[in-house]
Amino acid sequence: MELDRELKDLFARGVDRPLDDEAFDALALRVFRHQAGANPVYGRYARARGVSPDDAARWSDVPPVPTRAFKRLALACGDPDDADAVFVTSGTTGGEGRRGRHHVLDLDLYHASLLPNLEAHLLPDGLRPPIFALLPPPAEAPASSLVHMVDVAMERFGASGSGYFVEAGGDGGDDAGSGAGAGLAAAELRRAVDGAVDADEAVLVAGTAFSFVHWLDALEDAGVRLRLPPGSRLMETGGFKGRSRSVPREELYGAVEERLGIPGSHVVNEYGMTEMLSQFWEPVLREALAGEPVRRRHVPPPWVRTRVLDPSTLAPLPPGEVGLLHHFDLANLHSVSSILTEDLGVAVEGGFHVLGRAGDAEPRGCSIAMDDLLSASGTSR
Amino acid sequence: MTAFDAWWTPGPALRGEPGDAGRSGELVLRAPEVDGAAVESLARRLRRGREEALASLDADDVVDRIDAVASRFLRRGDRLREQALELLPLTTGYAPAMAERVLGGMARDWQGDRLRGLLEAEFDDPAVLDAFRPGPRGRRLRALGPELTFHVGAGNVPGVTVTSLVRALLVKSAALVKPGSGDPVLPVLFARGLAGVDPELAEAVAVVYWPGGAGGPEEAALAAADATVAYGGDEAIRALRGRAPDGARIVAYHHRVSFGIVARDALSAERVEETAYRAAEAASIFEQRGCVSPHLFYAERGGDASPELFAERLAGAFRRLEGELPSGRLRPDEASAIHQLRGEAELEAAAGGGRTVYRSDDAAWTVVYDHDPAFEPSCLNRVVRVKPVDEVHDVADRVRRYRRHLQTVGVAGAGGRLAGLAEVLGKAGVTRVAPLASMAWPPPWWHHDGMDPLRPLVRWVDLEG
Repeated sequence: MELDRELKDLFARGVDRPLDDEAFDALALRVFRHQAGANPVYGRYARARGVSPDDAARWSDVPPVPTRAFKRLALACGDPDDADAVFVTSGTTGGEGRRGRHHVLDLDLYHASLLPNLEAHLLPDGLRPPIFALLPPPAEAPASSLVHMVDVAMERFGASGSGYFVEAGGDGGDDAGSGAGAGLAAAELRRAVDGAVDADEAVLVAGTAFSFVHWLDALEDAGVRLRLPPGSRLMETGGFKGRSRSVPREELYGAVEERLGIPGSHVVNEYGMTEMLSQFWEPVLREALAGEPVRRRHVPPPWVRTRVLDPSTLAPLPPGEVGLLHHFDLANLHSVSSILTEDLGVAVEGGFHVLGRAGDAEPRGCSIAMDDLLSASGTSR
Repeated sequence: MTAFDAWWTPGPALRGEPGDAGRSGELVLRAPEVDGAAVESLARRLRRGREEALASLDADDVVDRIDAVASRFLRRGDRLREQALELLPLTTGYAPAMAERVLGGMARDWQGDRLRGLLEAEFDDPAVLDAFRPGPRGRRLRALGPELTFHVGAGNVPGVTVTSLVRALLVKSAALVKPGSGDPVLPVLFARGLAGVDPELAEAVAVVYWPGGAGGPEEAALAAADATVAYGGDEAIRALRGRAPDGARIVAYHHRVSFGIVARDALSAERVEETAYRAAEAASIFEQRGCVSPHLFYAERGGDASPELFAERLAGAFRRLEGELPSGRLRPDEASAIHQLRGEAELEAAAGGGRTVYRSDDAAWTVVYDHDPAFEPSCLNRVVRVKPVDEVHDVADRVRRYRRHLQTVGVAGAGGRLAGLAEVLGKAGVTRVAPLASMAWPPPWWHHDGMDPLRPLVRWVDLEG
């Protein structure tokens, strides 16, 4: 389809040519019109909110779908069974029935959006390194969008020696954290690292924050300090929800430098979610290699817009004020582009900071929390 | 940022300067650091204090003293009341009208007539708390409360922890109170008030704060006390039991789920508006965070107003209630949960799922009519579902799987069927069936989670012959 081709061309232009508001809005409204038509449920939902495709003037008018809705409904512009892939969130409480599912009707579109963005932020110097993934391989985690993304990157950019270092049984989650746990293939990973050191070949190590904590803890326990070759870089993502150990970012990056020899400028955080095909990267490595001052923030690619909304009123907030993150992702052409997350963030110059999940706090009062009641009774919805 | 001294002890009992002890909502808490040794020392002091005053007071005298403090919370212009009303919105997010309503409702039940009602409901002769009294079958009976109880509060429904303290005092127990981070204000103000009324009695009370889960002081308190009264979620209580010595006496009040039933008589043309108002009010008190707060309403088919229409009327009632009892400030996570729930419900409605969503423009209130009768908990803060049921008795089957957590059912319009309904609900796990209009305010003599409030604390001594 026409829009599909246009978007692929747009993604191919890369991340360095911003799309002005007018051009973005024009595309966004066409995407909205397509989604409202091809997904009748979303179309009715939008109309019930008083916004049909004829009413929207800009991307921010398009009614967002909350991320949790992906647990209840297949939000696809077409037959969900025709999907090339179905990515599933790693889930927190309540079991299988409560996981979000993203039916990806066109993997080519997905790859077209993910590769230029990843390359620009992890391989800005054109490096084609061995990629060591602290993740289970795709065969073990076919529903993980994170594993899929790394696999696609490995195929396109990874040198020989690339591989997965989490054993079968380690769960391959995505934004909520992936397995490692007991599943880290530590000996193999060590061999791979030693090989890279011997060959003086810079590597890219990719994984969830939690898997890195696990690996670094093990290195510390063994009193080991590795020195990955200069130019090596690290990609980490995800938080610590549901895990026993939570580590502040600065502490993690300090341990990365201490135990792996990778400086903070070469540690790139990725913020993404199963419900959204595009990713948000930190530009720190790009900036460091270009000799620019390094400033941590997450930057939307040109085909994504993000704004921060007042949690109560959903009114847009100015930079500097904390609120809920609302994204419009053109790459979500075949599902829903306008997404209201449960993530808290704040807009800063040239991007935003993610501050954490809004859904993590303990409920107040003596009344039981939804999750507690449902897991206590063994119910899933 | 307003700061609050989140502790009270009789006289100087804790060493060290008060420092930053975290936050309760918008309120900065200050408290001295407390370790296990300090708790043990405090426990000894509380026992002595009890020995010297509380132990020799009649229960009736204790009631009078508590009543005097209650009166202060209820008297307009009283400094204690003003402080409470100034601080409660900061910890709870309540609008001022809600803070007044909640303070008023809780303090009313600390008044003398209500407490006497509690004593009389629990003991054939409440004087057994003071001396041996003739009892059934020719015995004389004496009821002795624990010398020292440890109270662990949780959540932020204001006043729950004070009620726990009041119950302990009624059975002549000295009390070491550790409020949850959500409700530090009223326990401290109550203790200050009590000290003003009777400084010697107040020697048996201490309110101490430490950050959640801190091992040392909590374990010391669990070991030093003769009994512990704990409020919290299942996991928190499980952890607490784990930290207590073997065989420790623990009275636990877990988090609960409550709901409402609107029977067809209450959906008559004459009554439906009133019913909708009562339902909205019940779901708004405590911003729906109380154990007594209804998560949803089952509406019976066959009345003048259908369940769908009742949902619409309920939405109207929430809208109007905003004028009288405005919604409070929400934490970002609470507001986020509301928007997520709304979006899910609206999409399901669009998918033809027999749902209708009514909501305020902001996150103030939400009503979802949901034709699926399966019970679903709410994310709270004035978010309710209305689900249809053919016959009120059918509700019992819907909720039986939650039997371990059920508490209150507010009922309207059951008429002659009420007793039968209460029977099936009771068997399904419910511990309290009340009129919809009063479900938010259990009387002091209620069987709290199915238990007597005072009896679990006392030890009986029989004198035969």
